[in-house]
Amino acid sequence: MRLPALIGLLTGVLTSSGWAAGTRPPMLTGEALPLLPQHLVEFVLEAVGAPAWLVALGSFAAAAGTVVGVFLSAFALLSLIERKTLARIQNRLGPNRAGIFGILQPVADGIKMLTKEDIVPSKAEWFLHLLAPILIVLPSILALGVIPYGREWNPVPLELGLVFFFAVGTMTEVAVFIAGWASGSKFPMLGAMRAISQMVSYELPLIISALSVVMLSGTLSLAGIVANQAGYHLGFIPAWNILTPWGFVAGIVFAIAANAESNRCPFDLPEGESEIVAGHMTEYSGFKYALFFMGEYLGLFAISGLGITLFLGGWQAPLPGLDFVPSWIWFFGKLAVVIFVFLWVRGTFPRVRIDQLMRFAWLCLIPIALLTLPVAALWKFSGEGALGWLLCSAVLVVPFIIITVIFNRRMAPAIRTYHYAE
Amino acid sequence: MIPLLILSPLILLAALGAVWKARPVHAALLLALTLALVAVLYLTIGAEFIGLIQFMVYIGGVAILIVFALLITRPGDEAAELDRRPRSLGVGLACVLPVLGLLLFAFSKDLPTSSAVEANPALPVQALGRELFENSVPAVLAVGVLLTAVLIGAALFARETGDKPEPPASR
Repeated sequence: MRLPALIGLLTGVLTSSGWAAGTRPPMLTGEALPLLPQHLVEFVLEAVGAPAWLVALGSFAAAAGTVVGVFLSAFALLSLIERKTLARIQNRLGPNRAGIFGILQPVADGIKMLTKEDIVPSKAEWFLHLLAPILIVLPSILALGVIPYGREWNPVPLELGLVFFFAVGTMTEVAVFIAGWASGSKFPMLGAMRAISQMVSYELPLIISALSVVMLSGTLSLAGIVANQAGYHLGFIPAWNILTPWGFVAGIVFAIAANAESNRCPFDLPEGESEIVAGHMTEYSGFKYALFFMGEYLGLFAISGLGITLFLGGWQAPLPGLDFVPSWIWFFGKLAVVIFVFLWVRGTFPRVRIDQLMRFAWLCLIPIALLTLPVAALWKFSGEGALGWLLCSAVLVVPFIIITVIFNRRMAPAIRTYHYAE
Repeated sequence: MIPLLILSPLILLAALGAVWKARPVHAALLLALTLALVAVLYLTIGAEFIGLIQFMVYIGGVAILIVFALLITRPGDEAAELDRRPRSLGVGLACVLPVLGLLLFAFSKDLPTSSAVEANPALPVQALGRELFENSVPAVLAVGVLLTAVLIGAALFARETGDKPEPPASR
């Protein structure tokens, strides 16, 4: 009975968008494909005769829904890919029971998480205990909103995108503290203390290394930073920030700090399963526990996306002739590569000790990150050519050698003596 | 105007809660909520940069510092805190009233009219940066020196004095 109405609506959409008339409407090009839900909601609301504010709201909700939908599916996919990749690195099979190649494992995990009993410890403060998992997911989703995914797909084009990203990111620290404290238990408290001290320490190199990009781009808008990396040197080398002396160093510092910010191995002390059960997540079960993982993975996507935007040219194609591929495909291709490197690192390195972690941040990463600021200025004023490469590399390499030698010889933690346990 | 009417009672309630709660962690979290709501207020009046920086510095910096200090110090006695309350209230009012009076005096003298606000639209970030680091460089540098001095002072205070307690001999 409803079918004729639906067909009528569909023909209305197609004719008014000009598709039936033979010209392809702009919303059906590959470039604007991710904007399709947004355009459809706008069109339907306008056809129904909704007021302007409702159309704007609906369009915004559709844009947000697209981003959240894409990254929640990516989260489900990544949870499987991560286990498979780690299994390959560790020479085992990984999940292979649910569906072919374990492809239904995320579904099984979801059902398991949903049907588990939701336990709130009697010593916990129930409201804060409930608030923490929500506050963990919220900043990751907010941060995903400001990243430019494609030439046209830029959900919230903020002028202060970078500041917004780091500002909402600080909410994670409060959420981790609330999770640790509200559980009313010892392991969560220890995990939260580790997590906060680690996040505060690694936020500095993260922001400082991003600052050098801002300095040379002259803008805080992420779309502007991507536009600044357009073009190719010598006709084929992309003009990405990672391919400059300061950008190379800042990018590596950024990647290490991003790894630590998202609490992943080798910096996963806050969780440290073999030491403090699961850190701040110890007293959580069921879907609240799943929310912590969702927050961690969405945060990983967000910070990788920011790293791609800042250093790897965002949605720009890697070679000149490849512009016919929609730009958001390049973005997600780069995202896949970056995420794989994170998985590789996780499968390769052992967990560091807490004193090594702190020394590494304060004595090694922060000085090198600070060094990239004057080097970026030097690069700008030495003409961004061969002379720039020579000068900048010299200025970077000499202190780097000095810092690493000092770090290795004098500042390296002595062999730990255990006073209370033997 | 409407965001102000919604936000200001919330800010007031959160601030009162931050003063009134006996548990230090609750007070600290409510203080963080107050500061976050003030940041939202800045965002709604179009001062995006100051709102985001407020969020970054006060939630990510100050609030975290406070809860960290709470974690590594011994918790106080809540009953004693409640006993002290009348005296704390008096001291608090004595501190607040002059500030409030000064504010009221200032606003009664020179209340910005809405037309004056319209005449000064939000400053772009580049202009803000130029104003800060070209015209107001001495003030920025002075603040930097002051903060460094505070940092050194704090380090001096925190320095361990006297003999360290000997760790029990291993083995």
